[in-house]
Amino acid sequence: MPAVQETIEQVRTLDVDQYKYGFQTDIESDTAPKGLSEDTIRMISAKKDEPEWMLEWRLEAYKRWLTMVEPDWARVSYPKIDFQDIHYYSAPKGFKDGPKSLDEVDPEILKTYEKLGIPLKEQEILAGVRRMDEPSQLDDDGEILSDAPYGKGRVAVDAVFDSVSVATTFKKELKKAGVIFMPISEAIREHPDLIKKYLGSVVPQGDNYYAALNSAVFTDGSFVFVPKGVRCPMELSTYFRINEQNTGQFERTLIIAEEGSYVSYLEGCTAPQRDENQLHAAVVELIAMDDAEIKYSTVQNWYPGDKDGKGGIYNFVTKRGDCRGARSHISWTQVETGSAITWKYPSCILRGDDSRGEFYSIAVSNGHQQIDSGTKMIHIGRNTTSRIISKGISAGNSQNTYRGQVSVLRKASDARNFTQCDSLLIGNECGAHTVPYIEAKNASARLEHEATTSKISEDQLFYVMQRGIPEEEAIALIVNGFVKDVIQELPMEFAVEAQKLIGISLEGSVG
Amino acid sequence: MTAHTLIKNTQAESALIETFGALVDTLPGAATTTTARKTAIGGVSMRGLPTRRVEEWHYTDLRNRLKQVPEGDARTAGDALTSLADGMVRLDLFADDAPSDLPAGVRVTPLRDLLEKGELDRSLAPADPEDVIGALNAAFVSYGVALAIDDGTHLETPLELSAFHGEGQAHLRVPVTVGAGAKATIVERQVGDGAALITGVTELTVGDGAELLWVLVQEQPADTDQLTQMKFRLGRDSKFTLAILNAGGRLVRHEIRGVLEGEGGDFQMRCVNLLGGESHVDVTMVLDHVVPNTTGTEIVRNIASGKASGVFQGQIRVAKEAQKTDARMACNTLLVSDEADFSAKPELEIFADDVACGHGATVAEIDEDHLFYLMSRGIPENQARALLVKAFVDEIIEELDHEAISEALVAKVDEWFAKNG
Repeated sequence: MPAVQETIEQVRTLDVDQYKYGFQTDIESDTAPKGLSEDTIRMISAKKDEPEWMLEWRLEAYKRWLTMVEPDWARVSYPKIDFQDIHYYSAPKGFKDGPKSLDEVDPEILKTYEKLGIPLKEQEILAGVRRMDEPSQLDDDGEILSDAPYGKGRVAVDAVFDSVSVATTFKKELKKAGVIFMPISEAIREHPDLIKKYLGSVVPQGDNYYAALNSAVFTDGSFVFVPKGVRCPMELSTYFRINEQNTGQFERTLIIAEEGSYVSYLEGCTAPQRDENQLHAAVVELIAMDDAEIKYSTVQNWYPGDKDGKGGIYNFVTKRGDCRGARSHISWTQVETGSAITWKYPSCILRGDDSRGEFYSIAVSNGHQQIDSGTKMIHIGRNTTSRIISKGISAGNSQNTYRGQVSVLRKASDARNFTQCDSLLIGNECGAHTVPYIEAKNASARLEHEATTSKISEDQLFYVMQRGIPEEEAIALIVNGFVKDVIQELPMEFAVEAQKLIGISLEGSVG
Repeated sequence: MTAHTLIKNTQAESALIETFGALVDTLPGAATTTTARKTAIGGVSMRGLPTRRVEEWHYTDLRNRLKQVPEGDARTAGDALTSLADGMVRLDLFADDAPSDLPAGVRVTPLRDLLEKGELDRSLAPADPEDVIGALNAAFVSYGVALAIDDGTHLETPLELSAFHGEGQAHLRVPVTVGAGAKATIVERQVGDGAALITGVTELTVGDGAELLWVLVQEQPADTDQLTQMKFRLGRDSKFTLAILNAGGRLVRHEIRGVLEGEGGDFQMRCVNLLGGESHVDVTMVLDHVVPNTTGTEIVRNIASGKASGVFQGQIRVAKEAQKTDARMACNTLLVSDEADFSAKPELEIFADDVACGHGATVAEIDEDHLFYLMSRGIPENQARALLVKAFVDEIIEELDHEAISEALVAKVDEWFAKNG
């Protein structure tokens, strides 16, 4: 069990509530004044050199947002957010015109990546290609192709630092396959037709309070377009980091998989340790046409706040996939260990006949974290299937809620769902909650929902310990077993990382 | 904008408010009771009836569904009702006086007496702003009895409570105390003849070591709306079994709000919802485990046919102190018509770490294998299907700890299938 052993060691080397990614990168940045108004939006749009129609789209969203009320139905509590006390735009200075290669990137940022280990550098090493400081490596000159064949665990990375995307790797190679992978701000300029056609088609501007806010002020994010019949040659990855003080991060991701295509995308996120709360309100839209498959994985590790619950990221995210075509397939996998508050329901609209939606989640809460997360599976087409596996682990003073909806509409004959949500409680100061909504409007639907809440049983623990395994290790072993169903859905490189993260998150509560 | 801005009243809301205005001086109660009634209707008048935007009412949009409110008093003499089974002691909730032939250890006080003395004022206050059934009942309540079963009493014969109604409205309240170590079976009938709006609140206290079986049979006509609430508290080592059969009504909501407040308390619920025609039946349960070592199992079985819609919301809450709680909940639904629908929301809210809690919910068709098995034995498909559907609900009624009542309920189920099958 090397991964387990690693978890244990990781836990040992850390003090309570030590957040590994809590450093701050000292770089000059170009930051918009605090506050939100039409002017802020015009300024963001101008900074991004956007066409007029995009600005109109943003302003429309802003108008809608002004009429909306902050939702309060989630099982989370936090002081009211002052939306005028946030910087809506922050760009690392010096390369706001866009770097040509990583060489031009501020060395401080590169150091950041180095500290993080993931994804840039570690992925490189995992891939067995040249090291990061060698220029040819990420220069994207296309020559790498010959000596590094497809699919050897390489990952194309787009890194978003505060409000701008600083680097996208492997661009040329992807281009060769016909895959477009670029910051969304670039896509707005370079592929306006695609953006006009798809942006907001899954999560409309007025969808909900935070989606409207995001639509008005989103600054960057990733755009992926996989053309008909193409299997994307490598994992795509975006790495998000909030660095500046008092800034919000509002990224927007749009992934389109045309007929018969396949793409696997993963995102990671971290933030520095700060006393105040920072807002992260992202929108992710996935569109899968006939026979297409999108696999979307998240390892969310925003700063969760200190041991007294001070600081941390408010993670209010709208993620939705639209299985638009027949036999399309969207799969969400998430490992949630960070953020002070998480409010997130990656969903699937199963519109195409025979389409399939999946949701695999591990949500670990410790300290004063509050998680209200789950999914929605909306069965519209015939023979649609969905599968939900959710594992919640609460420790410390945290509250961990699974909230999920499975809805079978009138015409969705032979729809099928299986849901399993299990919660594990560690300590008696935390809470674990399950709030499923099951709605069946078709007689041929088959829905199964199962939920359990328990603690690590004495029997299990005793069994493992009497084989000579110390208690702390035994608990880690059992916890890893508990989340195994979900971990195995992750791409391999991330699975190891995720297992480590879970160990770190539970530090101070196990054993 | 807030959620509580003044809204234009619907026809039903206006009718309720006007009816209250017309009746307030004639409703029984002390001066303080009248104040409590006015407060209750004031809340309804200000907020209106709840819509699907109110979480507790998400699947039962009362504001839209309660179209009109019938006028007049729905009280009848109650003679039209036949007992569920032989040998029961009947208690007419509409009666002015307590019956004289009560078994030893059973005391009955007409509700009117308690209202006149102002003794119910405190319990008339709604639990929270969303407690609309409590509020409507508090505003209008005029019938019912207070029932007390003395400590240690073992009742051989079941008590049968009923309020057979005609056209109009009736608002009933039944405070019940089951003394320590007592043992009893109570049958509650919700039935009548004529378009009516009935509200009911049962407040039940089960004493330490007491054992109670409560059987609720709802067979309202297709033009009657029934909104009821059962609130209960269970003492130490007590055992309470609640069996519910819903087989009628137009708009039906049963709220069950229970607290297990004594160690060793056990709550069992068996609920069968037979949904036919255009009925809408909502069973909403909130169960609080607040002390260590309590147990609970709730099984809900639904058959939805015609254009009916059904709802089960079950919330199990386990407090921090309630270690070693064992709580189970299951909700299984058979949709037998393409126009019927069912929504379930089985919630767990858990603050204690040493517990075993689980819930399961399924919606399915009849198992093809089972069907094949029966058909291969020469049973025609229709019959085989009917057998399986019936077996699905019968099995949870048959295990009740009272044979005559079990049999009577199975007969009721047969009756329903004959009419709706």
